[in-house]
Amino acid sequence: MTTKQVPRAARPRRLKFAIGGAVVAVAILGLISWAMGRPGSTSFYMTIAELQAEGPSGVAGAYRVNGNVVPGSLEQQGIQTSFAISDGAGRLDITTRQPLPDAFSTAYDNDPAAVEVVAEGRYDGQTLMATKVLAKCPSKFKTQA
Amino acid sequence: MPLQVQDSGLTGPLGSLGSLGSLGRPALLAALAFALLGLTLCALGATRDRRDLAAAGVRAVVATAVFVAFATFCLLTAFFAHDFSLDYVASYSSRSLTGPYTFTALWGGMEGSLLLWTLLLTVFAAIALTRAPARRSALVAWAGAVLCGISIFFLVLLAMPANPFAELASVPADGQGLNPLLQSPGMLIHPPLLYTGFVGFSIPFAFCIAALITRRLDDSWLRATRRWTLFAWSALSIGIVLGGAWAYTELGWGGYWAWDPVENASFMPWLTATAFLHSVVIQEKRRMLKVWNVSLILLTYVLAVFGTFLTRSGILSSIHTFAEGDTGKWFLPYLGVMLLGGLALIGSRLDSLRSENRFDSLLSRESAFLANNVLFVAAGFAVLWGTVYPIVNEAFTGVRLSVVPPFFNRVFAPIGLAIVALAGIGPLISWRRMSKGTFARVARPPALAGIATMIVLAAGGVRSIGALLALGISVFTAAAIVGEFARGSRVHRRREGSAWLESLRRTLTRNRRRYGGYIVHLGIVLMVIGFSGNAFKVERSAELAPNESMTVGAYSLTYVDHSSASTPEKEINEAVIAVSRGGERIATLRPQRNFHIAQRQTQSEVAIRTTPAEDLYLVLTSFDADATIVLRSFVNPLTWWIWAGAAVMLAGMIVLLWSPAPQAVPGPVPVRVRRTEVASR
Repeated sequence: MTTKQVPRAARPRRLKFAIGGAVVAVAILGLISWAMGRPGSTSFYMTIAELQAEGPSGVAGAYRVNGNVVPGSLEQQGIQTSFAISDGAGRLDITTRQPLPDAFSTAYDNDPAAVEVVAEGRYDGQTLMATKVLAKCPSKFKTQA
Repeated sequence: MPLQVQDSGLTGPLGSLGSLGSLGRPALLAALAFALLGLTLCALGATRDRRDLAAAGVRAVVATAVFVAFATFCLLTAFFAHDFSLDYVASYSSRSLTGPYTFTALWGGMEGSLLLWTLLLTVFAAIALTRAPARRSALVAWAGAVLCGISIFFLVLLAMPANPFAELASVPADGQGLNPLLQSPGMLIHPPLLYTGFVGFSIPFAFCIAALITRRLDDSWLRATRRWTLFAWSALSIGIVLGGAWAYTELGWGGYWAWDPVENASFMPWLTATAFLHSVVIQEKRRMLKVWNVSLILLTYVLAVFGTFLTRSGILSSIHTFAEGDTGKWFLPYLGVMLLGGLALIGSRLDSLRSENRFDSLLSRESAFLANNVLFVAAGFAVLWGTVYPIVNEAFTGVRLSVVPPFFNRVFAPIGLAIVALAGIGPLISWRRMSKGTFARVARPPALAGIATMIVLAAGGVRSIGALLALGISVFTAAAIVGEFARGSRVHRRREGSAWLESLRRTLTRNRRRYGGYIVHLGIVLMVIGFSGNAFKVERSAELAPNESMTVGAYSLTYVDHSSASTPEKEINEAVIAVSRGGERIATLRPQRNFHIAQRQTQSEVAIRTTPAEDLYLVLTSFDADATIVLRSFVNPLTWWIWAGAAVMLAGMIVLLWSPAPQAVPGPVPVRVRRTEVASR
């Protein structure tokens, strides 16, 4: 792999490959950083207090917030679901038109006071309009044992 | 899709044996002892050049496998006998769990999964070492030592932090039951296949390390392990597709791949392994890219174990995470030793890894292979970056974020399409060099087919640039591959005067490796056609009272009836949905929303109407006491092609695995091979 052993005629060819390789590497790193920078590629975790301090989110902002569903706050109106979550320090209203995951129903049926969710979406200053609601599967398999 | 799996008849005898659970741990300890013995004997045999010691070491590896198999058998008997004195059995099964899904419980949790991993590892090691072509060489002795070392790590895990035979102080009356999501035919085969893939790479990895240690860095280690590499790669490929099929039919979100960290963990080694499968061809044919090949197999092995680390450590949140115990922390030092040790070994052997040839031209098949490799590794890096970025970012900035699917789609779509295009370009180019004019001539027909496809689709109203490119490139590559088959058959036809079908058969059987590969490529192309359907996906949700209707895409869905029933396992709520299109009733679908009593778990069972053009996919997301439902519906175009493509891929893999191992080539391959000659070889 040392240049000493490369015959003269091979050098321009080797240069071509080096340039080609460099172009591909730059293109791929560029692609990755472009994709990472586009809105919607990442979502930020926030606490309820941080979200409320931040105020309404702009076009780019999708936020993830987690907390426990406030017992008795669950309301279903057609395909729209509203509930509130609390993380001990604050309370946040969440509305979603997405169906809740099975894990949510399972957890809610087992113990309405112990449903832990992660909600992701836009914040309008009062309510988080969630495009995604994930429920932590109650890890009954281990914790009960 | 409540599919029923028939009882194989195997479960009866297993159940009548009673529980052998108490013998499991002694068996594992015996296996550990034999693995230590095997390591010692193999290492001594290799360093002292004592063939008899090495052969004894291989026999110790066989003994290790036998004891691990017995331990696994013991755990199975405990499951079938409902021996709830074992914590693991009580945690992942219940009295109502009988039949084939009892096997699923074996890998339902972490300890059992690790036991399955170790079983596959030791059995593969035993088979590979006893059947290695040059059984008595130092290469095999060192490979045996490496495989023993790996087995010792996993056996220590099973002996200490992840003991599947741990006993409970008080025996519960019933177990906690197996997650109903795992009680599905997909889960009966998806995890073992993935593990077969992950673990299978241990064999080429071990032989590679052995080759580095002994400096026997010609392609003998590649030939010794070619079948294993193909086998592991095939199992991993099918395992990944089955995982997607399982997600599609069981999880009810309308998709099959979510770029979840654990999905990525299985995909990364697949990408580097695929690169490796291609670059070994260069080493065999041209004696080049040796450093690259040893690095790729090292990377593949480390990524496969890294995937296990991700799932077991709970470091990333994922639906797959077992997130229990502290087994994860054991993996990090292991990975570090493997990666750094492997790299150091490669570094110290650079002089023996020098290429015996050089790249002659940018327009050559070597270059196409090289570009393919760069793209696969780049794709692997992009997936790795997206997967670990949340950890890196939090460590440096303290900001918690998550990388979501749009990132992966944006990065992966262009790289993936470039790879598919290369699968079409590669076969058209000859080895060493080719003139631009010749290339333009052979590339013109498939390129025209691709462009024509894009024009027709655009004229037909397809506006998604991504989908147009994907379909155009797919047709280009498919046309190039079909052209290769036609060219090969024509040579046979001209030379032997046989009929077309016979010529095609001869083409395939005379060079199974080459044409088997093309069949796999064709399968990938069909899958890409299926992926492009995502651009046209339609989703709608609505609340429906009985006899109300909704529309999705061109379909009208009417909620005509419902029924409820109870079995000992679950309460079933079923909605009957009449499907019509253009005023004509075409199907009746019955999605369910069930409550699993033992697990206290609600689960939707989706209903799918599949056609090659599109799937209609229905999920009941709510079923009220007054029989009002919330129905989520998807129209998923072209999804059928993904499963069809996977079936084609599987056919190609069978052709590849059935091809004879490549013979040693005395010298570098003949200088200039003309296209027709290559086709007929």
